[in-house]
Amino acid sequence: MYKDVKSKKYVVKQVVTQLKRLPAIAYSLLMLGIFILIFSIGSNSFLNIYNIKTIGTSASILLAVAIGQVFAITTGGIDLSVGGIMSLVSVVLMSTFDKIGMLAYVLSILVGLIAGYINGVINARLKIPSFITTLGTNGIFISVAYMISAKPLSAPQSAYKIMDFINGSCLGFNNLMLIGAVIFVFFYMVQKYTTTGRLIHLLGSNEKMSWLSGVDVGKIRILAFTLSGAGAGLAGVMLGSNLYSGYPTLGSVYILNSIASVVIGGTAMTGGSGGVLNTLVGVLVMSVIQNGMNIIGIDVYAQQTFLGVLVILAVAISFDRSKLSVVK
Amino acid sequence: MKQIIAEFKNIRKEFPGVIALKGFDVNLYEKEIVGLVGENGAGKSTLMKIMTGIYQPDGGEFLLRGKSVSMRGPLDAIERGIGMVFQEGSILPNLSVAENIFLCHEKEFSRLGIISEEAMNKKAQEIINQHGLEIQATDLCGSLSPAQRQMVEISRLLWLSDLYNHENPILILDEPTTVLLEREITKLFENLKIIKAKATIIFISHRLEEIIELSDRIIVLKDGDFVTDMPQKEASTTKIEQLMVGRDLATGYYRVNEQIEPEEEVVLKVQGLAINSMLEPISFELRKGEILALTGLVGSGKEELVKCLSGSMIPSQGKIFRNDKEINIRQPKHAIENTIGYIPIDRRVEGLAIDLDIAENINMLVYERLKKHKLINRKKERANALHWMDVVKVKASSHQMKCGNLSGGNQQKVVLGKWLSAETEILIVDHPTRGIDVGAKDEIYHHIRNLAKQGRSMIIMCDTLEEDIGLCNRMLILKDGKFVKELECPPNAKPTPADIIKSIV
Repeated sequence: MYKDVKSKKYVVKQVVTQLKRLPAIAYSLLMLGIFILIFSIGSNSFLNIYNIKTIGTSASILLAVAIGQVFAITTGGIDLSVGGIMSLVSVVLMSTFDKIGMLAYVLSILVGLIAGYINGVINARLKIPSFITTLGTNGIFISVAYMISAKPLSAPQSAYKIMDFINGSCLGFNNLMLIGAVIFVFFYMVQKYTTTGRLIHLLGSNEKMSWLSGVDVGKIRILAFTLSGAGAGLAGVMLGSNLYSGYPTLGSVYILNSIASVVIGGTAMTGGSGGVLNTLVGVLVMSVIQNGMNIIGIDVYAQQTFLGVLVILAVAISFDRSKLSVVK
Repeated sequence: MKQIIAEFKNIRKEFPGVIALKGFDVNLYEKEIVGLVGENGAGKSTLMKIMTGIYQPDGGEFLLRGKSVSMRGPLDAIERGIGMVFQEGSILPNLSVAENIFLCHEKEFSRLGIISEEAMNKKAQEIINQHGLEIQATDLCGSLSPAQRQMVEISRLLWLSDLYNHENPILILDEPTTVLLEREITKLFENLKIIKAKATIIFISHRLEEIIELSDRIIVLKDGDFVTDMPQKEASTTKIEQLMVGRDLATGYYRVNEQIEPEEEVVLKVQGLAINSMLEPISFELRKGEILALTGLVGSGKEELVKCLSGSMIPSQGKIFRNDKEINIRQPKHAIENTIGYIPIDRRVEGLAIDLDIAENINMLVYERLKKHKLINRKKERANALHWMDVVKVKASSHQMKCGNLSGGNQQKVVLGKWLSAETEILIVDHPTRGIDVGAKDEIYHHIRNLAKQGRSMIIMCDTLEEDIGLCNRMLILKDGKFVKELECPPNAKPTPADIIKSIV
């Protein structure tokens, strides 16, 4: 009766459906592997220890922003203010370290947290779409940074010790990478093992149902954006310490890079899917691409074009579009 | 013998984890109304979606007018003379009737690239008059009743098949009657019988009486396979039900024999609750283990009353007491804090996160309870999900199956499982068996009875009056925002629908 079962067309179809069933993260991992292969063939210095550490350093900073960002995106929103938060935080760190010493680090991270909280409150309580909210606050955070100091600030002498430590290494690992790993574990735990993390996911998947089931939708939204702010705050501190400086445009490139990492990792912009682990892979892909292009000597001006093409390509491969009938 | 217009040959379709269509043959003839019945998950929708090109079959053939075709999508289907009216409707409410009818085909009315609205409206008026619709072509579709919208959609499909010169178009209606009132259904059926003279109509419904009344021939599907087809005169509801389910239904419909007498204890008291311009003050009590039915037409105020109790609407006056303590419900959260749960009519939108798995849906309200060392514990999570899946008898391959891949009945059970897991004592169930097939309906009735036995109280609003009467201990009838009367419905002396209908309309 089923004479067509073994036909070639059927086999191909089966293979395709099996492939479609693979989680998005499998595609991202595959992509990571392919890029590593390409770049290591392209240049034999790509895989040397020194370069891997360079990738690790830049990846850790991007990771901190992106795994914050992924919470905002999981709710179905977006955080465009992460760049502003990073910049503001770096300026706060540099301008206060002389006065309060190590407390400046605590203060800086707190600034990031509060900035995210403000985003959440505007978004959830005033019901302003997060795209608009964070577009607005991004400008505000940068402006505040300018008001604190219009000129780029260098790290004060007193901060060299701690910053040298942050840029140092331990057991063969960059300390920044270790910090990144700790941040990753923390955010991963929040996502997987806390009620807040679960409810953020639920909210992104079906907000109306969540509300009808008694979930405090506003609170969860605020928490999601606070987490995003915290990620950006940590990234700002890391980047500032890495560069021994702080200035109001420091974080700008991280807005789009963090979103790109999240999406490359296979988290849908519509919310409810993906997560922190996906984003780790996305960040690695982004970092490898950016570093690899430098290593194999692609013209700096052409790099953005390549990156743009790769982001679109990456999404085309990894993003589960079968669910979407309309692409906005 | 009528001519064959379309045929499926050994048609197969698989989805992850399920075989939706097992490979069978079905024919459709010219100028007939075919009733398509089967439980949820029997393969009706899949079959129709293959016809309209939304799905591609994994095996077998679909022949249209003798030629094998592979539909590329709904537009392709329309160009070949197959149109479908979906359950939810696909009319754009912010466009006029004429604009909806000619959507994407406006160029028929354009001269030198400019569309003549006048010509469009004139033609549309002609079409709608033809189908006995008493509306203007310029009316916005958002202002039409569901019945009128449906007719607009049908008119559109018929006009399109004319446009593409198809002698005998195929019209698919997916549960068209669920949103209609009694007299609108009669009207729809009259229209369909006229349309039959030049078209094939496939009619999908869970209401078997309707299917038998309207169809010339009835096709029964079960578990992705073809069971039988029979002419109208051989059909009866009991016969079809047995074929659909493949087993005898439980004795005693609505499980009336399991109905129990509620306890004396009053768990919920409503005092003078009112909503401006929608509901006049109403007072009632709900006892422990009682099933209370709210009956009335759309607009009677029952929907709003329920919304006030579940927290998605705020009453303008009145008090609500839970176990003699006054409570204030301003949002769903407050209702749940008082262990009042709400099972909505629209599961996919309001009841479930369909992209998430069963466990996530069942556990969503109780994560705090599933913790160990302040972190959610995987084992506890799994155990809780499996426990409640077992209690409500969800049929699924694992607790990690996506809810979107479950049948309507199983989805409803997951929603129920969620509320039971959250230890709600009062359940408001809005249309417990909407869109659920016969076999699963009986299981839902069984659950409702069991919950009552365990001392949970329920407020229900059902699909049919019979279901209301059959399930409830007591019934409140509302009409035009006013309380009309209260009726006892003990197991041995249930009122008949005829007794009640007078008070409702």
